[in-house]
This record gives sequence, C-alpha cells and structure tokens, in this order.
Amino acid sequence: MGFVAKRFGLFVAALFGLSILVFVALRILPGDVAAVMAGTNATAARIAALRTQMGLDRPLIVQYGDWLAGLLHGDLGMSAISGKSVASQVGARAAVTFPLIVLSLIIALLIGLPLGCAAVITRNTRLRGLFHALAIVGGAVPALWSGLLLILLFSRGSGLLPVLPSQGFPNNGWANFGRAAASLVLPALATGITAGAGIMRYTRAALGDAAQSQAVAMAMACGMTRRQALLRVGLRLSLPQLVSVAGLTFAQMVTGVMVVENLFALPGLGAMLVTDVGNRDLIAVQSELFLLAAFFLLLGLVVDMAHRVLDPRLKNASIGSGEVL
Amino acid sequence: MTAARVIVRSMWRKASGKYALIVLGIWVIVSLVSLVWTPHALLDADGFHAWQAPTGAHPLGTDGVGADVLSWLMAGSRTNLIIAVLTVIVAGVFGLALVAAMVSRASALRSTSVVLVDALISIPTVLIALMLTVPFGASAAVIVAACGFAYGLNLARIVRPAAMLAARSRYVESAVWSGASGMRVFLTHIVPNAMPVLLVQLSMSAGTSILAESGLTYLGVGVGAGVPSWGHSLATSVKFISIYPMTVLWPGLVVTLTVIALHLFGDALRDAADPLTNPELREAA
Repeated sequence: MGFVAKRFGLFVAALFGLSILVFVALRILPGDVAAVMAGTNATAARIAALRTQMGLDRPLIVQYGDWLAGLLHGDLGMSAISGKSVASQVGARAAVTFPLIVLSLIIALLIGLPLGCAAVITRNTRLRGLFHALAIVGGAVPALWSGLLLILLFSRGSGLLPVLPSQGFPNNGWANFGRAAASLVLPALATGITAGAGIMRYTRAALGDAAQSQAVAMAMACGMTRRQALLRVGLRLSLPQLVSVAGLTFAQMVTGVMVVENLFALPGLGAMLVTDVGNRDLIAVQSELFLLAAFFLLLGLVVDMAHRVLDPRLKNASIGSGEVL
Repeated sequence: MTAARVIVRSMWRKASGKYALIVLGIWVIVSLVSLVWTPHALLDADGFHAWQAPTGAHPLGTDGVGADVLSWLMAGSRTNLIIAVLTVIVAGVFGLALVAAMVSRASALRSTSVVLVDALISIPTVLIALMLTVPFGASAAVIVAACGFAYGLNLARIVRPAAMLAARSRYVESAVWSGASGMRVFLTHIVPNAMPVLLVQLSMSAGTSILAESGLTYLGVGVGAGVPSWGHSLATSVKFISIYPMTVLWPGLVVTLTVIALHLFGDALRDAADPLTNPELREAA
C-alpha cells in the first residue's frame, strides 16, 4: 500500500510541476496572442481591449491560478482562434486518434511479439541474423516514408494494388463506420511497423534474458522442450517488462501518429496541436499540451502499477531505492 | 599501433562494422563537399522547370520552385550531421550528469534523480519539441534541445544498472578510501564501466535525432523554412507523389540507410572498443 500511495503522490506532484512548466513556457513567448487575434491592421487600443477581455493583463500568478482552477473543474478554456471550447475540440479529435493508436498498437504487437519470440526460439543462425536485420531496418524507417510507400503500394488512385482509400476521414465520422475504419488501416500500418520493430527488440532481449534463467532450466529438466519452456515459463517471466514496453509504446504513439495523421489527412489530436502551435493559439496550446503530458504521466503510473502486480519480486522494493531488479 | 587504429580495424573486419564505417564516411564526405560544391546552387530556382522528371542535369528532378532535389539532399546531410553530433553531446552530458546524481552518495540527490527520470521519461520527444517551439520558434536548436533532453533521460535509465554495479565494487571502495574525490571516482571508474552501454545508446540517439528531425520538419516545427535537411527533402518528396512516384524513394532511403548505419556503428564500436571482448586491444595497450 505504501508503494501505491507514494507513487500516486509522485504523480500528483509531477502533474503540478508540469502545469507550472507549461504555463511558464507559454508565457515567456514573444508573440502576443491578443495581437494575433486582432489581426495585422488592428489599432493598439483594440489589442489592449482584447487583452483586458481575455484577462491577459492580469498578474501572471492570477492567470495561472485561474487556469489551474479551470482545469480542476474540467474547464480547459476557449480557443482564441476558433472560439470553441478546447475540451470539445480535444474530444472530437480523440475520436480519430485513439482508434488509430489502438489499431497501431495491435499491429505492432502482432508483428513484434511473434517475431521476437521466434528470434529467441530458433537455433538457426541464419534465421537469427534475418530477425536481427528485420528489427534494425524496421526501427530505422521514418514513419513518413513507410506511409508514403504504403500509399504507393495500396492506395486507390496511385497505388499498385488499389484496395484502400489513401487519404481523409469521412465527414460524418464514425457514423460511416466502414469508410472510417478503412481510412485508418494504412496509417496504422505505417506506425505499427516501426513500433513493432521496437517491440520485437524488447521481446527478444527480455525473452533472451529469461532463457538464461534457472526457471527455464528447471522447466526443461522437468521434461519440457526448449520451445515449451520458453513460451510457457520464459514468457511469463518477461511479461512485466513486456507490459511496460507496450505501455510506453502506446504513450509514444500519441505523438508518433502525428506525422501519419498529417500525411493521411486525418483530423486527429496531433494535427490539432501542430495547427494550434502554428497559430499561436495560446490558451488552446496550453491546455492541450498539459492534457497530453498528463496523459503520459498517467500511463507511466498505470504501467508502474501493472508492473508491480505482475512481478511479485518487486513487492518489497520501494520507490527510488534503486533496487528494482 | 595506436588503440584507435586497432578499434577501426576490428570494426572493419565485420560486415556490419564495415557497412557502418562506409555509410558514415560517405555521410561526412558528402557533408563537407556540399559546403563548397553541389550540382546546382541551392537557390538556383528556375520556375519554368518546376516538378521536372529526373534528367541528366537533375538526377532526382526538380521541386516546386524548380530547385535541384539532389543538391538539396546533399546540403541536407550537413544539417543532419550537425544536429546528430550536437544531440549526442547534449544527451551524453545531460545523461551522465543524471547518472552521477543517481549513484552519488547523497541519498536525497539519489532518490530525487531516480524519481525525476521515471516521471519525465514517458513524455515524448515531439511533445517537448512542440513545447519549446512556442516560445523559441522552430529551429535546429529546438530539435537538439528536445532530443538531447529526451535521450539524456533514456540514457540515464539504461546506463544506471551498470553504473550502480561499478559504484558498489571493491575498486571504487578502495579509490574512495584512498581519498579520490567523487568526481574523480565517477570519471575514472564508473564511466569506463558504463562505456559499452553508453556507446550503443549514444549512437542510437544520433540515429533517432535524424528520424525526429524528419518528422518535426514535415510537421512544420523542425528546421526553419529554407534550411536544407533530409526532413525538408522528405517533406518535398511527399508533394512529388502524384507526379513522379519513384523520386519519393530517395530521401527516405538516405535516412533509413544512415539510421541503420548508426545502429550498427554503436554495436560494432562497443565490441571493438571493449578490452574485455577485443583481445587485440589488450595487446595494443
């Protein structure tokens, strides 16, 4: 219990630190959001009026307190450019990004886990070399490029094997389920392949370590074949690490899909964040950055907890003692 | 023979090491050559010959303003070389500073740094870069800062076990007892022990900085407009796709081959530069 409380306290402290960091980073910027909103030929009086209206002329500490209080009530503020609430924008975009991430992660796991296991199980050195090469090449391909290659191969219009729509998300969203799902396949493949190479490397390393363990030797002494011992005992041993890796991969994908969201013209979170940063939409960027970073911290928390549950050896280790494994 | 020559020779003997040395050698040479010569001047834009198919004069065609794609790709290699080198330096210094804190004898410093690394490590590079872009604008420096920060954290986490092991060893104990300062113990005993992991990680972060640059530049938050880089070439090639699909291949291929070379370079250097795995190095020393 001590661990859970401590880890949760750390999470809250990190969230608080993060809110200060994001706020400060966005308030030291030279561009003035009021000046941007008012347009290029606005008078100084108009800009000043806007500043007052948006509360940008108040002391920073008051602005920060206001923002924080809003966050705690689930009020993320209004976008200065579009005039819509940030929360509704984030919600609409997440409906595209989250299915995309989940699909990418599934593809990555389907590629990475079996190949990683096969790389440890096989005794054929040539095959091992091939798996090694696959992992290295897969991890070196920029997502933008694999996306382009997939378009060249499979998209309708320009592809060699025109089976999938190349770009765009249906205007009516998930109401048009088939079209919406089909538009996510190529982008998910593009990020899934790269992430799959990473998962394959970790699986190979974790299972390779487990293969040296006494537990696997014991299982084989009791009559299991090497393959059985690795898949039943070895995989269970490396499960905590694999869950951590899958969690971190999931987190990294939120930004990993930004490039393919742009390439495939999907209205996702990444595209929104990049547009808002470009527009210097201060209020929106501030809340979005905080929200995303908070999501990563939360995932870190969940992964740590899951790791703890899955690995009974950690029961007596405490945070920050450096005694983990 | 000096140690450096022994290391290079041992790397050259293996196929992966040879590949890495050749590709990285070409990278450095092309970067240097592009400073004094490219097939066409970068700003030699000819609006009448925009979006041209590859020809003898323009082996990779021309882009939307009629500039030579190959020249931009060549000039891009020096930008990426600088970004990669600086990222390695920033990540190395920041990461080692964190490791030093993590193995220091002050327990408050030790636990704070461990907790800090664990909390920050899940925040992705791209998000850090975006955060920095708002106040500072898009530039190569932002890429270096974001990559250096993120990979420094990563490095600290991965190097820590080796450093901890060394910190608890008898030779460190005896060095401390004979009066060596903490700094000296760290640099002469702990860093060399972490070197194998360190080399692999640093060379991988050089590779990842190239991938990060290409993604960020495509999103419009990477190197500034008008700066040649591989990300810029890749982003240009995206617009080529409906015109000359095959030219899309080249910039991506350059990035992929270089990143592979950097991954292999780290592994090869670790094997060749570690006296425990390379007997020739022991004889040379």
